[in-house]
Amino acid sequence: MDAPLLAVENLRTYFYSRAKRAFIRSVDGVSLGVMRGETLGIVGESGSGKSVTALSAAGLVTAGPGVISGRIDLQSNGSRRNLLDGLENYARVTEQDGRVMAVEKDERGWRRHSETLMAGVRGKEIAMIFQNPRSALNPYSTIGKQLVETIRLHTNFKGERQARERAIHWLERVRIDSPRLRFDNFPFGMSGGMCQRAMIAMALSAEPSLLIADEPTTGLDATIQSTIVDLLAQLKTETGITTLLISHDISVIQRLSDRIAVMYGGTVVETGRAAEVLAPEATARHPYTAALLASIPSAETIRRKSYLQAIEGEVLDTIEVPRGCRFYGRCNRVTEAIRGNCAGLEPPLGEVAPGHKVRCWLYPAAGKP
Amino acid sequence: MRRYVQTPGPIGQFSELSLRQRAGPLDLVYVAYGLLVVAVVVASYLLGAFGWLPHDPQAMDIGLINAAPFTSGHPLGTDFLGRDLQARLILGIQAYFLPGLLAITISVVGGSVLGILAGYRGGWFDTIITYFDNLLDSFPRLVLILLVIAAFKADIYYVMVVVGITGMPVIANLIAGKIAFLRQKSFIEAAHALGLPAHTVILKHILWLNCRALLVIQATLGMAEAILVETSLSYLGFGVQEPTPSWGNMVQAGANYFLQGNFWPSTAPALAILATILGFQLLGDGLNNLLEGKRRK
Repeated sequence: MDAPLLAVENLRTYFYSRAKRAFIRSVDGVSLGVMRGETLGIVGESGSGKSVTALSAAGLVTAGPGVISGRIDLQSNGSRRNLLDGLENYARVTEQDGRVMAVEKDERGWRRHSETLMAGVRGKEIAMIFQNPRSALNPYSTIGKQLVETIRLHTNFKGERQARERAIHWLERVRIDSPRLRFDNFPFGMSGGMCQRAMIAMALSAEPSLLIADEPTTGLDATIQSTIVDLLAQLKTETGITTLLISHDISVIQRLSDRIAVMYGGTVVETGRAAEVLAPEATARHPYTAALLASIPSAETIRRKSYLQAIEGEVLDTIEVPRGCRFYGRCNRVTEAIRGNCAGLEPPLGEVAPGHKVRCWLYPAAGKP
Repeated sequence: MRRYVQTPGPIGQFSELSLRQRAGPLDLVYVAYGLLVVAVVVASYLLGAFGWLPHDPQAMDIGLINAAPFTSGHPLGTDFLGRDLQARLILGIQAYFLPGLLAITISVVGGSVLGILAGYRGGWFDTIITYFDNLLDSFPRLVLILLVIAAFKADIYYVMVVVGITGMPVIANLIAGKIAFLRQKSFIEAAHALGLPAHTVILKHILWLNCRALLVIQATLGMAEAILVETSLSYLGFGVQEPTPSWGNMVQAGANYFLQGNFWPSTAPALAILATILGFQLLGDGLNNLLEGKRRK
């Protein structure tokens, strides 16, 4: 098997929350691999650490005492480079009882080193699109100018006219009607969906090897959402771009992903092929995934006028990580037989079927790596 | 120059938007007048710089002292030594033009740098600028300038450096505020994610595209301030010295003859000061309403 294009290994990203006066372990030991050409969907509630995983991969975590550790390997031009190489020299984390007690960080050194690591990667190898596309574009510049700027920066289309033609080509590729006219539009003159298309064009125009789509449909109208999802699906078949897709919307994930990683409380609790993880008749399934699937409104629930099923309890506060399973407090499938384990010991990510891993004591056979 | 308009809606209900400044036709008049003043000032500066004056500004005509306007050969009259007022008014622009440009360059460049550091890095830069601002506010500017004159020498460029530095915190605060506002939008983060280098993001996307209107407005207002400081100092005798003309020392020189009925030699430069400063102020205000008011959402 090939090495994955992006391999995240034991990624930990901690932030300091001024309001809570404590460190938050947003991402706490995540390992993922994205194969060339595939779409990996990361799904989870708000606060599960999915966006932070993406921001860490793009080297955009610099704020204050934010600390990243682990490995992020990117395969580029036949060589493999660790995007976090040597960053650990700039920060020291002291932990006690699952709580981060102190972080010592050389801010400037960290930022400078991070910039050298990301040079030529961010924007060129890893491109990113965001939620709220309207605010992701500079309001005082036309979309054409912004597109030309990234094209001239990252590709060999350096000439003004060449870059302009290339920009129009990309506007066409993202199905913006009359791209020559739209070229001179300001973001406020366009709808949210149009802005997102322009944003996608900007991200793809650098011909990156990995596209990170962080909640690309959030903040758009429902009908626009589905057209953006369609566009992403079409671009995937046309360009074969490798995508790391992040969304809390399972239906979006389902439409676009080849494989899925379900995140909860800063860790991956289940991963596998999309069809397998989301299959209605799946036998082995993490209780959190089951709860997420049950909370999707369907024609059935609407017809029966039954309540939408919410997941009981609140998202794990990742300031203090429990010693046992992170989902234990909200889990409705704890049996007496495994209660001791659930409360006291974090389950490992075990394989229940080839390529399908679940982090749960319900599958003890799988629990043995 | 604020106008508050209520947006159409239920009576008695004011939305937040209803209190925003709107640009009106009057702003166009302000800007037109301001641009005219700027054009006249620049043209006069060039005339003075190249020496294309209607008269020799130093040539005295003892037979024609304190002549009224429209005297033959002297359309604006003469001063107490019979020197041509028109030529001296034109030459008086030399006294503040380049020094004023120096002052606004210092305040715009320095203010931008401080503003970016405060808005982008935040933390103690922000604190320093606030204290700097408070410090300057607690100290009359003219006293500070006189202190500098006492400590160094009565040179207009020294004075304008002080004017420039004391103008920095206002601009820094405005830019820091603008950046704080822009940071809520994610396009700065998006620009970083697209791989644009930090200096491109800061200089092009923040300063050039988002703050240029603000900087032009502040530069205009800064020029008005610089003219006012220069003329005040020259009036007091700390600025440009006779026989080199400055509007300030012309008012002062003419004032001695004011009560004798020869009001014109001091009134002419005073009117020039009034018209010019009014022009710069109105230009700044009009541009503010036209460029910033419209875009404020």
